[in-house]
Amino acid sequence: MASSFLDRENTVAPPGFNRFLVPPAALAVHLSIGQAYAFSTFNLPLTKLIGHSHSAPADWDLKQVGWIFSIAIVFLGSSAAVFGRWVERVGPRRSMFTAALCFSGGFIVSAFGIHLRQLWLLYLGYGVLGGCGLGIGYISPVSTLIKWFPDRPGMATGMAIMGFGGGALIAAPLSVMLMAHFKTAVSNGVLETLVTMGVIYFMFMMIGVYAVRVPAPDWKPAGWSAPSHPKQLVTTANVSVDMAWRTPQFWLLWVVLCMNVTAGIGVLGQASPMIQEIFSGRVTPAAAAGFVGLLSLFNMGGRIIWATTSDYIGRRNTYMVFFLLGILLYSTVPTLGHLGSIPLFVAAFCIILSMYGGGFATIPAYLRDIFGTYQVGAIHGRLLTAWSVAGVLGPVLVNYIRQYQIDNGVPKAQAYSVTMYIMCGLLLIGFLCNYAMRAVDEKYHYRGSTQS
Amino acid sequence: MKVRLVLLWVAVGIPLLWGVMKTLENALKLFQ
Repeated sequence: MASSFLDRENTVAPPGFNRFLVPPAALAVHLSIGQAYAFSTFNLPLTKLIGHSHSAPADWDLKQVGWIFSIAIVFLGSSAAVFGRWVERVGPRRSMFTAALCFSGGFIVSAFGIHLRQLWLLYLGYGVLGGCGLGIGYISPVSTLIKWFPDRPGMATGMAIMGFGGGALIAAPLSVMLMAHFKTAVSNGVLETLVTMGVIYFMFMMIGVYAVRVPAPDWKPAGWSAPSHPKQLVTTANVSVDMAWRTPQFWLLWVVLCMNVTAGIGVLGQASPMIQEIFSGRVTPAAAAGFVGLLSLFNMGGRIIWATTSDYIGRRNTYMVFFLLGILLYSTVPTLGHLGSIPLFVAAFCIILSMYGGGFATIPAYLRDIFGTYQVGAIHGRLLTAWSVAGVLGPVLVNYIRQYQIDNGVPKAQAYSVTMYIMCGLLLIGFLCNYAMRAVDEKYHYRGSTQS
Repeated sequence: MKVRLVLLWVAVGIPLLWGVMKTLENALKLFQ
């Protein structure tokens, strides 16, 4: 009974189905898995499980705990790449259900790890199992949304991927509230919070599992027909996932995404100390936390705004804006720091982070334009390995170059200048790859049936 | 269908709005 409910055949929408029921289904999943961005709220409490108010000698240290998130991000990218084709085959409902089981299961296994004081269970739970839930959940609704909104693919996928950015806005205060609620004289409440969040997220993701539908194979939006003369770089052909990654276009897009994410993710991870060090004595830790929150808000808003804009100005032009405006803003940041202008500094980074989010949200529609709708979810999954690489590259660049500068006697307030110019260089590489983008050669086109 | 549409959007919209509101509350500290 349960398996038939999850089958792709049973998710085909009946005639007259309102396609705007699908984006909230996708959002239910993405708002849940977006919790990953707020995992750092558990870092300090996880180092005080024995000492409660302080870290006892037998407690885990921050370095050990930091690996949980890193493992989750690596498994996000790799599971999206490995399970992409399976997600395309079984459809969004079964894949969302699997993602819910993995993601929520990750919380429960991690809670068990805390109970037994076994750190490897947290690596396995939130890191491996939860990471697989993140990867499968992230790509589950993408191709379904693109098929429902052939007239507005950017807006549709932007809405879902906005949820991944928004998930942190919900999870951060929710985690803090739950830990405060469960805190006792003998526990700091992390274990209970993880169990509660695992249950809440499972139930919330079930809304998506229940509501998601795929369109009938011959379905089109009322009054819409595919343009007879598609825009430049928008294909009417299809490329299979196995062929896609043999094309230069796949690797150009891989570099485009990797460079855009590297530039943003390094700043996002270091935002709080960066603003405090550049405006030393003028920004308190609480205000710096507000800055991080503001960046998250723009990261989320940029996803829907830029992805929707890409429907009008084209995907390549949207990325041109990201790279050119990014270079301009990053090169201005050191000057803004010297000028001591906090509002301009904050505004520059808000725009940068909106383009970071916009890059994530626009890429599925870009892939659809270049490779067609057949297996676009699986191709997206493989492209997300660029995120895993950027997740390591970005923070390493920002942290190590800053430390190198400080070790060589550069004042802390100026230690970020070189990093900003390196970010400009990365964005220039992204710009050139995006500029080189051309339509896929016909020899790569898929000739078989695409009805699956 | 319309009731289901509203319910679904409310179900995902309320937590999201709550998160945005909490974030804005914190962000205001930056300009105080």
